[in-house]
Amino acid sequence: MTLYHCVALSLILLAIGVYGMLTRPNFIGVLLSIEVIMNAANLNVIGFAHFSAQDPTAGALFPVFVMAVSACEMAVALAILIALFRGKGHLDSRRPGGLHG
Amino acid sequence: MSDILFYALAGLLVIFSLLVVLAPNLVHAAIALVASFFMTAGLYLLLRMEFVAIAQVLVYIGGVVIFVVITILLTTRLGDRHVPPTPRQRLWGLLIAGALLALPLTYLDPTLLPNPRATPLSAEAGGLTAIGTRLLQPSAGGFLAPFELISLLLLIALIGAVVIARKHPPSRRDNP
Repeated sequence: MTLYHCVALSLILLAIGVYGMLTRPNFIGVLLSIEVIMNAANLNVIGFAHFSAQDPTAGALFPVFVMAVSACEMAVALAILIALFRGKGHLDSRRPGGLHG
Repeated sequence: MSDILFYALAGLLVIFSLLVVLAPNLVHAAIALVASFFMTAGLYLLLRMEFVAIAQVLVYIGGVVIFVVITILLTTRLGDRHVPPTPRQRLWGLLIAGALLALPLTYLDPTLLPNPRATPLSAEAGGLTAIGTRLLQPSAGGFLAPFELISLLLLIALIGAVVIARKHPPSRRDNP
């Protein structure tokens, strides 16, 4: 268990999330993949804070802000998806459109 | 001991994240996301960041995932057929994700990473007291301004979400 392992783990999670973002046929699936990527970022920050930061408390605080921003992002994105679903009747990410206005 | 725990948690985390991305049913994917968040919280505890672990369980599992599950249930009909990704999507996804994984792992030199600290991290640094003091400390090095800003951002996002998701566009009579 070293910093290298933490960075490698978060890289693997990032790749998994990017794959999901590019292949999910449903917009909600894309959002779930974004959560996986956020998780990877938090893990990376915590890894650096634990293993080598001068100021580990600041490193422990940073993921809290990431969580708050990602909660905001999910709230707004899901609201947009609900509005989109009301207008189009589906959430197929290969047939976007209808987002104007 | 902690090494074995780290590898077990990391392996489970990767498996559950793969399930999030690959499961055909979105509800299954959301449940896998809950499991992967629990594994991450376990990793945070292992890295002695107890506050972040608690916040992870409270905010992500208690808030975000519930929200996602409700939206999935609202927008998915029972008869919906699962559409698998096309081979072209799979190819591009594998290419880009593989490049994102392989390039840094090839060039990431462990000797370039910052030096590890001499003494192991104490449990106080990631504990409630240190974080609470730091969060509300107005002087230099404190996080009072970001803390207030993030609460404002949450308020704006929640109001915006309600406005976007409500059923009828505001009519002219509502706001003269």
